[in-house]
Amino acid sequence: MTEPTDECQECTSARSVSRRRFLQAIGVTGAAVAAPSMFSAQAAFAAGPHRGPVLVVISLRGGMDGLSLVPPVGDPNYAKLRPSIAVPQRTAIPTDDPRFGLHPALAPLRPLWDSKRLSFVHAVASADTSRSHFNATAELERSAPGTNVHSGWLDRVLRVNGRNATFEAVALGTGGRPGHLVGESDVLTMRSLSSFTLAGPDTLCPAMAKALRALHSDPKAPQTSSAVATLTALDTVGTINAQRAKAGAPATAYPANSALGAALADAAALIRADVGLAALAVEIGGWDMHIALGNAGEGQFAALAGQVAAAIAAFAADLGKDFDRVNVVTMSEFGRRAGQNGSGGVDHGHGNAMLLAGGGLVGGKVHGRWPGLAKDDLDQGDLAATTDYRDVLAEFLVRRAGLGQNAVSVVFPNYKPRPVGAFRRPTA
Amino acid sequence: MRSSRPTKQHRLERGAKQARAAAPDRSSEKFALHLLRRTTFGITPDLRADVADAGGALAWLEQQFDPESIDDGTCSGALAAWPFATTDPQVNHATMGAGNATSMEDLVRATLARQIWSRRQLFEVMVDFWSNHLNITCPSGTVWATKAWDDIHVVRANALGRFEDMLQASVTSPAMLLYLNNAQSRGDAVNENYARELLELHTVGLGAGYQHRDIVNAARALSGLSVWDRSDKAAALSLGTFRYRAEWHYVGPVSVLGWSHPNGDAAGGVEVARSLIAYLARHPSTAERIARKLAVRFVRDHPSAALVRRLARVYLDSDTEIVPVLRALFTSDEFANAVGAKVRRPAEVVIAGWRALGAQPIPGWLNRNNAVAQLRWTLSEMGNAPLGWPLPDGYPDVAAAWKGAGLTLTAWNAHLTAATHRLNNGVLWPDLATHLLDGAVPTSWDGLVDTLTARLLPGQRVSPAHRAAFLAFLADAAGAADPGALRPQDLKALLPVLVALVLDSPYWSVR
Repeated sequence: MTEPTDECQECTSARSVSRRRFLQAIGVTGAAVAAPSMFSAQAAFAAGPHRGPVLVVISLRGGMDGLSLVPPVGDPNYAKLRPSIAVPQRTAIPTDDPRFGLHPALAPLRPLWDSKRLSFVHAVASADTSRSHFNATAELERSAPGTNVHSGWLDRVLRVNGRNATFEAVALGTGGRPGHLVGESDVLTMRSLSSFTLAGPDTLCPAMAKALRALHSDPKAPQTSSAVATLTALDTVGTINAQRAKAGAPATAYPANSALGAALADAAALIRADVGLAALAVEIGGWDMHIALGNAGEGQFAALAGQVAAAIAAFAADLGKDFDRVNVVTMSEFGRRAGQNGSGGVDHGHGNAMLLAGGGLVGGKVHGRWPGLAKDDLDQGDLAATTDYRDVLAEFLVRRAGLGQNAVSVVFPNYKPRPVGAFRRPTA
Repeated sequence: MRSSRPTKQHRLERGAKQARAAAPDRSSEKFALHLLRRTTFGITPDLRADVADAGGALAWLEQQFDPESIDDGTCSGALAAWPFATTDPQVNHATMGAGNATSMEDLVRATLARQIWSRRQLFEVMVDFWSNHLNITCPSGTVWATKAWDDIHVVRANALGRFEDMLQASVTSPAMLLYLNNAQSRGDAVNENYARELLELHTVGLGAGYQHRDIVNAARALSGLSVWDRSDKAAALSLGTFRYRAEWHYVGPVSVLGWSHPNGDAAGGVEVARSLIAYLARHPSTAERIARKLAVRFVRDHPSAALVRRLARVYLDSDTEIVPVLRALFTSDEFANAVGAKVRRPAEVVIAGWRALGAQPIPGWLNRNNAVAQLRWTLSEMGNAPLGWPLPDGYPDVAAAWKGAGLTLTAWNAHLTAATHRLNNGVLWPDLATHLLDGAVPTSWDGLVDTLTARLLPGQRVSPAHRAAFLAFLADAAGAADPGALRPQDLKALLPVLVALVLDSPYWSVR
């Protein structure tokens, strides 16, 4: 592989970023990205323990309505725009900020709010304005508008970390690799801890595992690192599963029949097991509420938001003190229109709200510049976006994960993040 | 079988150095198996019989270059389960609500069924190649009604034809125009998305030296190429089909990478776009890019510059015809000397297992959610369902791109599922011993391992250590200290797992 000679000062000095990884992340090397020399099997075995926070990205698929999650009850236009689906001020959870309440379904999160381990950012969006689920999701997860970078932003985070540990990044729930993680970092994907087992007859699995280890012992074979990582993960997950079975039902009540609750219960088990986790991706669909969104105590939104709130509250309670080394962020491809439609729902829009939970937060606060809902303040009928998702994520990367600005510029190419003030500056 | 040579992979690493080895014997069994691994979704006894019937590997290849000449009745019968895999946009609009995924899902399943069962294997491999080259993520929102049309009229119509024809079809494909936003592009404020991907991915590539102004000019040349939608008064008969909107076409001189056009009036916009496409299809950078991609697909992850140059020359000399390029590729020394140098993508790993184990569609079975549909979700979990790559650049086809722990476990479990015949809705699995051992009860356990590996891994030498690992598994599983002490009645329980382990082995990953 020939490397270009136009050295960029910023890139070469980037913390934890080798030049190759940088070029790879920004797509300069094109087809050469996949040069095997960069992906020696050795790398997979050489990871040190992860010391930073665990980022838990919850994708709210379908376009979550931020104006219901964090209703701007102090804005007189809010009720006017949504005559039958605005969250009434009297039922919203107060926030000390007269402009905003919280949806009453978020009541389970009240203790986190009070202990400053929960906050929101309002009027946040990606650069994509297509209002297409697919385009907006693709752009949000890529987070590299106007560039030729074809990977997911979280994949680039892992690549600047450069550790390649088996459990560094885990995608839970779907089994597939979510768009945030599209790329060439090593990611462990699983539907659940309990299903992460060899599907052979129980009595034969130990002999199978032994055979698989013997079959995948050549470090030069291209599939060895994945196979060894899989066998290692099977061992680790087997131990975790056995411990959970021994411990019986958890004291924490995760919401029943909730895929998100189940995924976060697994996430908590992985975090407690200290397996070197840096990033976890989970998702919950069902936010495409064109009809019957509801307002406060009932309707689709209350049910789904309540499920998210109960799952995060249980996750925090389950982790206890360990929750402080976690950061939950929610992301959704777009917000909904400011005004309701004829069916008691809202169509695809743009500006949204983002939930942040965990340690190191400037908590108990709704962050972001509020653009207002007056006719002229709207962006083609949508809540205008005043904060880019990348601003919030970059602040997490710098203040919580300790990445340098140069590494951040690899994660978000051609973008200069603006301060949000959602994360505390590191004290040490 | 009892070779003490280094493992296959060790030898593969040295493949490039051996490229100048003795002239390959293309009439050999070794060459035939190599060709079959590269040009199909997995070797089957029927496929080997087809090669023999054709009179050898290269004669079989010529048959494959003419897919219409090959009877494909079994596969066609299976496809009846997914009628919307081939429906036009108007039909989809008339029969389903906007965004309905039925046609896209039917297409994904039908594509998978063809990969498993079509006897036109090289054609399906090339359909897969071009579907990735001109990737339109399926399912994805904007193409719900139009992707099936693209599959038929862009990719399948030209998969073994001329690249220029395919690209010309693509530039008026409603799915492509919607997927890359050209359908909304207006001359006074062009949407550059399609133009950018046309240059970067579909034709000349990033290294061709184009500037932003070239992208803008390409977008201008393409502006007005759009799709009939519900807001169009005359849409009833043409909903979801190509529409040229002259009023959205940019008028004025345009130039892209040495091509230019006066573009003097809005009426001629389609011809301007066609002229640009004809130019780009024959651009030397496009020739090199297509040649390189084909060499990466069929030869090795890092093909020699000489081979790429030679194939690019054939491409240009044959006026963008694909078959002459493939013929040159498959008869090259570089190809013959690259045995085992490619790694299968996850979907191929699992599909090849279905083929090797003899899965057959049950005639007349019309259940849309049959075993193939279930397999489709398994491949999704592996991030490799047909047509499913979430970005415009298509699935990567190099070994380094397909690492991942969960993915590997999903493959191992898919092999167990296949070998234990657990997915049988609409699919018939022959008895393993009958199909893989010709019904003969092995007289010894090492005989079983040797027969099985010879059948599943034809032409590949299993190392002594790996052979020992299979035998140790049998001994462990039956609780016997000595594999020779296993009882014949253990066969029923152990054979499916042993078969799965052979499919889990590194040999199976080799394309």
